[in-house]
Parts: sequence; structure tokens; C-alpha cells
Amino acid sequence: MVGGGSNMKEPLWLAEELVTKLKPRYDDVAALVINDDTAMVKLWNTEPSVVQSWMRTRVGLLLAKNRRLLTLEISARKPEDVLKATERIEEIADKVEESELYAPLPEPEGVKALTGMFDGRVVEALNNPRPYAEAMIDSALSQGVDRVAGTLTLSRVVRALATSKGFSGMEEKTYVEAYLRAFKGEFSGHWAHGSTRLDINALKDVGLKAGQYATITNKKVDFQPGKYSVILSPLVVGNLLGDVAFMASATAVLLGYSMFMKYRLGDVVASEKLSMYDVPHDTSLPRASAFDDEGSPTYDKPIIENGVLKNLLHNSGTAAKMGVKTTGNAGWIFARAWNLNIGLGDFKEDELISELRNGLIITNNWYTRLQNYVEGIFSTVSRDATLLVKDGEILGDVGRVRIASKFSTLMKNIVGISNKPYDIMWWEVRTPTRCGYILAKDINITKPYI
Amino acid sequence: MSVDEGVLSKAVDEGLSLGAKYVEVRYQKDYVDGVTLRNDKVVSVGVERTEGVGVRVLVDGSLGFASTNDLSLEGVLKAVRVAYERAKALAPLRRKPIEFSEERVGRASYGVVPKVKLEDLSVEERIKLGKEIYDVVLKTALKVKVPAYMFELTTHDQEKLIVTSEGAYVRSYVPRLYVSLNVVLLEPQKGTLQRRLEYAGSGGVEQLKTWNISEDVAGEIKNLEKVLLEGVEPPKDAVDVVVGSEIVGLLVHESAGHPMEADRILGREAAQAGESYVKPNMIGVYRVGNSLATVVEDPTIPGSNGFYLYDDEGVPARPRYLYKEGLLNEPLHNRHTAKIFGVNSNAAARSMDYASEPIIRMSNTYFKPGNMTFEELLEGVAVGVYIKSYMEWNIDDRRWNQRYVGLEAYMIRNGELAEPVRNPVLEITTQGFYSNIVAVDKNLKFYPGTCGKGEPAQGVPVWFGGPNVRISKVRLGVIA
Repeated sequence: MVGGGSNMKEPLWLAEELVTKLKPRYDDVAALVINDDTAMVKLWNTEPSVVQSWMRTRVGLLLAKNRRLLTLEISARKPEDVLKATERIEEIADKVEESELYAPLPEPEGVKALTGMFDGRVVEALNNPRPYAEAMIDSALSQGVDRVAGTLTLSRVVRALATSKGFSGMEEKTYVEAYLRAFKGEFSGHWAHGSTRLDINALKDVGLKAGQYATITNKKVDFQPGKYSVILSPLVVGNLLGDVAFMASATAVLLGYSMFMKYRLGDVVASEKLSMYDVPHDTSLPRASAFDDEGSPTYDKPIIENGVLKNLLHNSGTAAKMGVKTTGNAGWIFARAWNLNIGLGDFKEDELISELRNGLIITNNWYTRLQNYVEGIFSTVSRDATLLVKDGEILGDVGRVRIASKFSTLMKNIVGISNKPYDIMWWEVRTPTRCGYILAKDINITKPYI
Repeated sequence: MSVDEGVLSKAVDEGLSLGAKYVEVRYQKDYVDGVTLRNDKVVSVGVERTEGVGVRVLVDGSLGFASTNDLSLEGVLKAVRVAYERAKALAPLRRKPIEFSEERVGRASYGVVPKVKLEDLSVEERIKLGKEIYDVVLKTALKVKVPAYMFELTTHDQEKLIVTSEGAYVRSYVPRLYVSLNVVLLEPQKGTLQRRLEYAGSGGVEQLKTWNISEDVAGEIKNLEKVLLEGVEPPKDAVDVVVGSEIVGLLVHESAGHPMEADRILGREAAQAGESYVKPNMIGVYRVGNSLATVVEDPTIPGSNGFYLYDDEGVPARPRYLYKEGLLNEPLHNRHTAKIFGVNSNAAARSMDYASEPIIRMSNTYFKPGNMTFEELLEGVAVGVYIKSYMEWNIDDRRWNQRYVGLEAYMIRNGELAEPVRNPVLEITTQGFYSNIVAVDKNLKFYPGTCGKGEPAQGVPVWFGGPNVRISKVRLGVIA
């Protein structure tokens, strides 16, 4: 299960060594070793503010003894250093009570290696990302913007896992995360991209789209709070449905952090237009992986399909607690999605604006917070181009407004999705998401009175 | 401290010999022990051991940062070379060189001495505390169900050693204790209500006695049960609103602390946490509030969650007045922004861990209290609302338009607290809040938080606080 590159065997050797050493003392042992070489160029006022680099080896251990569950994260490279850190665990292991989320680690199943996650061009660019940063900047400047800010991140990651059940696997991959915010006077636009592969045209598109939204209007328009039809850009879709995917974790359900506490599988939770898939096998998206943190094979699966709740995301522990099978989404303790794919619709993007007719186009958002996870009550604030549309025409920018709604309302009120996919990852979208624009009706939009 | 200090000195020398104008090498160790309970059952016990070195270099006016957890001389020197080479490669894209202000940096060693060491809090005691609090919740919630309860307790030992090419040598040790709770209350006809509570500070186990969590939680649950069962909609007309200290604390963090971070003012965080409504020429001139509006930022408060005496550039810490009697007064600076503003750094550079670059952060931010009692604050309010706590909040990326959704709240009638109010929404601009303050009580209280900023995002421990504050004639909203 190897994608290429050098020093590949060291992380797997370390993981296996740790399992060998710890196995006599515990019922279950899993050792996860992640080694990365990452460079990030941070841009500020159209020039680099800092170039950051990380060369790390991080070790995670899951240890179980008499159904007691212990986890350890350590930044160490040598087995003896890791084992020394387990002394603390050793001291407390017998004093801890049984975990209700304990389940034996799974027996190894056939994990089929994924190919296409490693791009040598990313590794080559690590030591000189300048041409790629310049390409993004120039593309935005070509739209007549005043200045840009953003980041370009390039990374090579080796992930190795060994378990006391005999699983042993390793993956090497690369990823690129790029986003840019472009400013023109009081107006701004933002775009983002995430992939396992380095494609200069995709980076140019980030600059282009950010520049286009920064210059799409030079007019501010008045706006009254109320119910609006809204088009949400892929950035907004990635942010909001990322929160829904978090709540689809069975761990979130068990700990009281989920709207899905109120639903059962098979319940209608959204418009039939909405399908949301967890896609670890899409090797172009940055969190692609063939096996989860317990060594279970991953697989693509619907979370919501045609509006119906199909799956919660499980590791062995949550699955045992709920009487189902793991879905290959471990995360020790906290099960989570790998990559998200939001099913596309039939609309071309300009047709979606015609369909909107009157309402708002929200191209970016941030700071999504919930009043109550069980009810899914949330609000989020728009930033960058937030456009008022009347009779299918963009009248101008309304400034920073707030979507204040329930996730169930938002998802049930979806009436259309565009047909072109974008691969989004940025500061506010941490689970890589492939999606289009979404049109939803009757969504509550607010702003301050004073 | 498990790093050879000679390695750090040699790393500084290596950076200088390569041609860097400035070299800063920071060793940082973060040891965290945590336990998580769901209801009265243990979910897991976790241990984190993070340790490594972060290096910054200034080369040809370009700033490079690299980090490694390979603490051998070879590993740390490699990090210096990577920081140098990658910064140099990007230097041609800079139009103006990055420079740092001149500072008298520290040569000091300091530490927080706990009365009871964190390691003396056994795992059994941690679990017992989580169960005791759950028991209190169940015994107090008599008329509603408790479908979810989660308890987390973590202890965090943090050590740093900062060595720079300009002579800084600062060694520090800060232990911190943190407890968080998530409770959901359910009444089938009325729906659910969710409360997250946090307790945190620097020091040792003795803090648990001060927090008295069981008693605090009993009061919370009793009141929230009443809100869930009897809460009414907030009034539709504009009324006087007494904003509770918990919300005032968060509000000053969001709308005074963040917009007064000089890196945001200059645009360094533009594509992430955003910019600021504050522009450099507004400092000392622009009036954001009335004379009651004073907000202080102070890393030196003993026992605080954001405690430090020297920042991560080695500059000595001191209190700063962000807003002073309604005027924008003093932004938070590091050495880079101080140079641009033509002032000295006020020591706001902090790093989450060894793998994080030091950036401008808050520490402990609070609204300056007044002289009134809480009862005096309510006097004269014919019809109003007191909002004591919140769950949902957010603010726009210029720190102007913000929203706080009340959790525990009450009507005020003729100067007295009356029936509970459910989910009142305070949606207000920064100037709208600070200009409409009519009275401030003397009950300063601090609340913990983990402030997020930077790329990759860094969460650092902070306190935010304030007294109860009365604002005049505000229209409250309702949730959709």
C-alpha cells in the first residue's frame, strides 16, 4: 500500500515496533504514525507574510485493557521515546473504569490500496512554491483587484497503521490547499481549492474566481431582514454541510452534539434534491484513505441520499454501542467523515440565478455557531460578495448579513443544485468537499438593528 | 525540560551564519492529560505529549518559520535551514522588507507554582468529579429529562524556552486546569435546551475548590429548567437590556480584542479570521463608545487562563487599554506590527505549540467594572430583559456586526427580575453596543475560552470577563 517517495518504511516500522512492544501488556493496541513535510505560503497585501514549514512525526496510540480505553498522542520519532510516554498510561490503566465505547479492534479485512493520491509535482514544489503562489496572485490581479490575501499549502504525508489484530498498512499521499481573498475597494471575493494533485490551472481559477467576485459589483444596496431565497456558493455549502457531516458522526449523536439524535435511519431529513456522500475512495480529494484508524477498510457511502438519512458514521466502538457494523470512519473515539461529495443537480450556474429570480447570492461565510445541536439551530455570517438579485439581475452588494435558521429547514428547503463541481477546502471548510451551488427558498436572513 | 539548551544556541548561530538578520528558536512542551465521561460512564482517558522546536528567521526581508520534533542537533539545524531557504525563495515577492521593532527583550525564568500539583489529581478523582456533577444534574432536573451529559477534564503543563539572536532568553512554566460540561435538557412539549459550561485557569488542583462546580451547576440546571418550561418570547418593542457578565466578556473579546489586533488591522489575517473595522489612522481618534466603555487586556493577571509574563518574542508583558472611555486607544502588537506603527511591542505574540508561529493574540480581556450593585443596575427599568448566558454567537470578519443568543434570561419589570425569557437574540453593531451603555455594575467575573486564529488555526487559552452592563432601548430578535 505504497504510493512512492523515500523514507517510506520508517513510519510503518515504528508503528509495528510499538505494537510488538505493547501487545503483551494490553488487549488491543493500535499505533498510527503520521509523518509529514509541509510548506505553507501565507499571503498578505499581495506579498508573502510568512513561509511556514513542518517536518513532523506524530504518533497516536489506542490501548485497551479489560475494556478500559486509553489514547495517547505524542510527537516522537523513536520507539523508546514513545514507550517512555506510555508509562503515564501504564500508571492509570488499572484505575480507569470500563469504557462504554469499547469494542475489540476489528480483524483485518481485505484493504485494497488506493492509487492516484501521490503527485510528485507537489513534492518538487515544496522547496520553491513561488511560481504557484505567483500564478494565483496574477490571476486575481488580472481581474483588476487592488490586493489579495490567502494561502498556498503543499504537503507530503505518510500515514502508517499497525494493530494488535495483525493489520499493517501504509499510505503516502500529497495534497494542495489553496485559497485567495481578493479586494477591490470596499468589496471582496473569495475562492478555494483542495486536491491531492498540483494543477496550476486550478490555482489560477482560485485567483480568477476570487477576483471575479471582488469586482462583480461596485454598488452597495440596502437590505431588509426577512425570508429570502438564497443561492449558496460551494464555499458556503462546504461549511454548512461540513457541520451536518460532523453531526452525522455517531459519537456526536452519543455526546449530545447532533441534530440526528431526533432522527432514525430512513427518516426524511432534507429535500429529495440533497444527497451527501462520504467518499474516502475519491483519490483526488485530500483526505482519501483506504483504511481507517482501526484498520477497517473504508468505503464510499451515502450519509443523506435523496433527502433520506442513510448512514451515521461509525467506528467499532460506536457501532457496538448502537448494534451496527463499523462504517470505516474511525477516528478513535470520534468517528468522522473523510471527504464529502454533495450530489450535483441539473442547473447551469446562470440558470440557477434565473431560477432564484429574487433573493440573495451568498458567496462565502464564516463563524457558524449553534444555539442547540439537538434542534440544529444555527447562524452564520456572510463575508465577501453577498449579492441582492431582483428579477434575475444582480442589483449590488448588501454587506455582511446572517443566515439564522435550522439545518433541517435549510436542507428541506433546497430546490435546486448546479451541475458543475468544485473541490473546496479552506480555513472554514476542513473536510474536503466536492459540490456545486445550492438554491434554497424561505431562509431567514438577519442583520443588526443598531 | 528535555532539550539540550546548547542545541538552541547552536541553531541561533546556524541561522546567523546562513545570513539571517534575526533568528528565534523556541522549545515548547505541552503535556495534556484528559478524561471524558458520557453520563456516568467513562468514554476514554487521553494523554498528549507534544514537544519540539519552532524556528523563525528573517532573511532578505522575508519571514520564515519551520518546526520539527526531531530535537537532535541535526534535526533542529535542518529546521533552521528549511526556514531560511524557503523564506529566501519567496523574498523576491516582497515589495517591502519585514522588520521588527527595537525592544529590550527579557532574560528571565518564571513559573506558576500550583498549591496542589496537577499530577496529584488522580484519574479516579477526575472520574469521581464527573460522576458527582452528573448526579447533581439528575437530582436538580426534576421536571425535565437529561438526554445528554458530557464531562471533560484536562490538565495541561506547558513549558517554553525562547532564545533569540538579539539576546532574549526566557524560560517559563504554566500549568492549567480545564473542565467542560455539555448538558441537554428535554421536555417533550417544549423541546430541548442545551448548555455548555467551561471552567479554566492557570494554577493547580486547588482551583476546583474555587470553582465549586457542583453548586454552580445545580443553580444553572434549576434556572434553565424554568426557562425551558416557562420561558416566554422576548418583547417586540425596543427595551433596556441588561447584558450579563458572561456575554459582556465574550462581547469585549470579539468586538474590542479582535479588532484591536494590529495584524488584523493591517490585513495579515484577511483571508482567514478577517480584517478589522479599525484602520491605523483611527487609533486615539475614533470614538466607538461613550465614556463608560473601557476595555482592558492583561496577560499578567495571576491565576488567569491567558497568563504569561513574557511573550513568545521575549518582550515583557503589561496591561493594555484597548478602548479607553470610548476611544480606540492601544492595539495589541508584536515586534513586526509595532515597527509599522512606529511604537514598541506590547508583548502580544503567542504560539499554541512548538509547531505554531507566534502571532498576535489576546490573553485576558475584560470590560472595566463600575460601582453599582446588580440591584442598582436594574433600578428604573420599567420593562426590560436581563440576558445572563448564551450558547450561539458570532461576529462578522471586520468585528462590527455581532449576535448573541440568550440561554438563561428574564424579563425585568419595575426594576425586578420577573418571568424567564427563551432565546432572546441580541444582534447589534460594535458601536451600537458601546455607545448605548447607560450603567455598569461592579461584579467583574471572568470566563474561559479557547481563542482561534491563524493558519493553521491556533487555539490558545484566554479569559474574557466583565461586569453586568445595561444598554438602552434595543430591539431583541427571536430565533427562526
